[in-house]
Amino acid sequence: MRYFLQRLFQFVIVFFLVTFGVLVFMRIGLNKPGDPARTMLGGTATDEQIKAVTDRFHLNSNYLTQYWYWLRGMFTLDFGYSQTNNLDVTTYLKPRVLPTLFLGIYATVGALVIAVPVAVYQAYRRDSAFDKIGSFFSFALVSIPALVLAPLLSYLFIIRLQWFPRLASKIYPWESLSGHFKNFLLPSIVLMLPLAAVYVRLLRADMVQTLQADFVTLASAKGVSPRRVLWSHALRNSLFTLLTNVGVQLGGLVGGALVVEQYFNIKGMGSLLVVGILSSDLFTVQSVSAILVATVVTVNLLVDLSYAVIDPRIRHARALS
Amino acid sequence: MSNVSQAASRDITDPLLELTDVKTHFRTARGLVRAVDGVTFNLDRGKALGIVGESGSGKTILSRSIMGLLPPKGAVRSGSIKFEGREIGNLGRKQMRHIWGKEMAMIFQDPMTSLNPLMKIGQQIAEPLKIHLGMDKTSAMATAEKLLQDVRIPEAHRRLAQYPHELSGGMRQRVMIAIALACGPTALFADEPTTALDVTVQAQILDLLNEQRKDRNMSLILVTHDLGVVAGHTDDIAVMYGGQLVEMAPTRVLFANMKMPYTEALMQSIPKIEDPSHTRLTAIGGRPPDLVHPPKGCRFAPRCPYVREKCENEMPQLQQSDLPGHFFRCWYPVGSPEYFESKERNAAKAMASAAPTEVPVSIGEAR
Amino acid sequence: MTLTIESPPVADPASAPDTPARTQRRRPRIGMWFGITWLGGLVFCIVFASVLPFIRLYDTKIRVGGKAGRYNLGPGWTAWLGTDSSSHDVFARCIYGARVTLTVGVLSTVIGLVVGGLLGIASGYFQGWTDRVGSIITDSLLALPPLLLALLLVYRMDDLKDVYSWLGWLDRQWEITLTLGILAIAPFARIARAQTIALRDREFVLAARSLGAKSGRVIAREILPNLIPAMLTVAVTGLGILVAAEGALAFLGLGVERPLTWGKMISDGQRDLARAWWATIFPCLFLFLTVISFNLIGDQLARRFDIREAAI
Repeated sequence: MRYFLQRLFQFVIVFFLVTFGVLVFMRIGLNKPGDPARTMLGGTATDEQIKAVTDRFHLNSNYLTQYWYWLRGMFTLDFGYSQTNNLDVTTYLKPRVLPTLFLGIYATVGALVIAVPVAVYQAYRRDSAFDKIGSFFSFALVSIPALVLAPLLSYLFIIRLQWFPRLASKIYPWESLSGHFKNFLLPSIVLMLPLAAVYVRLLRADMVQTLQADFVTLASAKGVSPRRVLWSHALRNSLFTLLTNVGVQLGGLVGGALVVEQYFNIKGMGSLLVVGILSSDLFTVQSVSAILVATVVTVNLLVDLSYAVIDPRIRHARALS
Repeated sequence: MSNVSQAASRDITDPLLELTDVKTHFRTARGLVRAVDGVTFNLDRGKALGIVGESGSGKTILSRSIMGLLPPKGAVRSGSIKFEGREIGNLGRKQMRHIWGKEMAMIFQDPMTSLNPLMKIGQQIAEPLKIHLGMDKTSAMATAEKLLQDVRIPEAHRRLAQYPHELSGGMRQRVMIAIALACGPTALFADEPTTALDVTVQAQILDLLNEQRKDRNMSLILVTHDLGVVAGHTDDIAVMYGGQLVEMAPTRVLFANMKMPYTEALMQSIPKIEDPSHTRLTAIGGRPPDLVHPPKGCRFAPRCPYVREKCENEMPQLQQSDLPGHFFRCWYPVGSPEYFESKERNAAKAMASAAPTEVPVSIGEAR
Repeated sequence: MTLTIESPPVADPASAPDTPARTQRRRPRIGMWFGITWLGGLVFCIVFASVLPFIRLYDTKIRVGGKAGRYNLGPGWTAWLGTDSSSHDVFARCIYGARVTLTVGVLSTVIGLVVGGLLGIASGYFQGWTDRVGSIITDSLLALPPLLLALLLVYRMDDLKDVYSWLGWLDRQWEITLTLGILAIAPFARIARAQTIALRDREFVLAARSLGAKSGRVIAREILPNLIPAMLTVAVTGLGILVAAEGALAFLGLGVERPLTWGKMISDGQRDLARAWWATIFPCLFLFLTVISFNLIGDQLARRFDIREAAI
């Protein structure tokens, strides 16, 4: 428990540091009073408009004060104001959250669903044809950036084979399930394949080691079926690196999502962020970064917790400390 | 009484295990490794057999070959292994699975790595019970608790819910024994069961194994590098060298009347109570033979202090001594005139070279 | 125990005969040679682009029948990889794009290597507060998704240039180099720290320290040389990642404008993918082959030096 609290504390610190860093960084150089507001509103803004925005968000005070007010707003789901759409960021952000979330979840879950059986079977039949082919493809896929995979797949499946529409109108699964999948399948695959490849490589390596462990041989010698030896004895003991990497890879996944959303024209947080950055939309950038960082940090914390769920040794060591 | 005997002189009814010319070779990039090279013996029900040899002698591979627990790749097996009259030497893992745990069980060397760290003790013991005996969870757990009591683990009930890391090494080895005993196997293989344990615990574990063997009328195959371990705990001893049996006999016969210089060398490497303290023990010089290109003659010849020309050129066959059940593989066995001659020659040489006093038998590289 | 059997009292493991087989059966190095060939060829073309007769200048327009139309040539003899929307030769653009990409990649790797390496060595060697500060820096750099951080950095550098005149020398290419260099700091710092900690307590380092060698000398003489294999491996693998990141930045609109880079080409060709696949797919192929080449070489190095952390 104490260990968990320590980790929690560490993650909270990182969250504050990073979000504050983003705020400061977005405003360095905007030294003259009214500068930040003027940057946000663009050259055509009137003095009254500038004053109104400056006052509303305390843009003339020091960074810490600004951070405080922004943070307070965040917790009441008031993410600030966006000049681009002349809207509160909250209103403007809301419909953007789910598409990105869909992408992330489909990619991660899909990658795990593919990677675990493939890696387990590769390790079980080490050096077989299946293992070699699997290793070859996982190596190739790890090396394909989202930027390459997106055009390749969309050329193949959208233009050549026409399996997917170019621009799907339906987004939410409750509106039209098939429309939803037509919209999200290809982008998710672009994110999923390299991720699955990374997982396969990590899990296979660990699995190969575990399968050589004495307790696995003992399980066989007890008459446990190979299936149960693999899935129940060996897999659980090989999950740690994989789990760690579900957290580690999340940052890369966000990067991939930026590219994929842009390429497939998905209106998610990634594309919002890109537009935000390119138009000096201070609050959009801050808020979206904060949400992304919070997600990354939370997932890593959950990963930490999951170690304890899986491994009694960690559970007990923590109980003792 | 001959419990271990060559197939030819089989006169006891219904041996549990009959091995005939068992070979296990491994294909490697370096060539064919002859890890086990033609082993023949029988083992009777309820008896304990010790297989002794250095590491690399093939003793572990032999025990795993009998169990069928070899790494799936590259192993080439031949010869016949009959278990309760049934040929099992050619069975695959799939068929062996129904024998493993139920009729044959194994105890591994290192209790620290041989239990699944993420599974409760109770579950690990209950697993074979559920698989082979079709027990439900409650009765499997009750049986598991009974087994833990049998192997003298205090507070058996509480242990069921504990994980391996909460137990000491000795305790874990007891748990391993409980797992092995769970389904009442007729043959138990113990591969260096005490090597990783404290000296004080070693004897307890060996006693426990023997006691359970007698209670359950089970055969025990004790694989070890340590003649001292098998001395008081087995009916028969088989000494392995370079993938072959080089000497086997009932335990008492072997200790009183060993024929093979290798056995003698092994014996000299264990401390004896009647020796004065600080008696220097003899190490066996040289290394175990290369099993890809084994020596042409006797495999021990390159390290044997009594080696002669014939030893290097012709492989001796296993022959019976004048004692029942005693077999050895040597041209000039311990006690023969040539043996004494060589011994004297060695002693003279040692004196002449004014070697430091501490080398009683200088077993150098013969070549 | 006074047991003196020569060989150690360990049971011969059942897998023992398996071990020599595994070490001897080396993986074929075809992959690494493929990588070296591809990168070597690319670098050759880059360096001699202006001299080589088969590489046009990147902004030469190819006219067909006197006209320079959009995508007027597919892949063929005149323009090997076709022409793009402004009727530029795609092949020439890919080569000139590689020039920018590889320069940016190599320079940013050097920045990451030097800064990250020093940070990691300091953290690992001195420990205590130095280590804590170093960890906070690396953790924070890693908490923000890398591409997001890169976007922020490049974009703000663009702005700051106008405010602070001393930043005037920053052009787009330098901005991207610096940004990617900053991104590369954390991974280098991590591995340098881990390796330094491992080396710190090894006999030869302890020996040097007990002889009274100064920290700087111990680091330079004993630690640095031993870090080279690991750092080299990470650098090669990292180059692949940085090249991909540069592409992504360019794709998102923060790339080097002249000459175009691969990412920008992919972005430009996107709308006309159906009409002229070659304008998108070939830059994709160049990017992919370059990334996988670095990975293949890096993988071989990781095996050679037995560095697990650097394996992708």
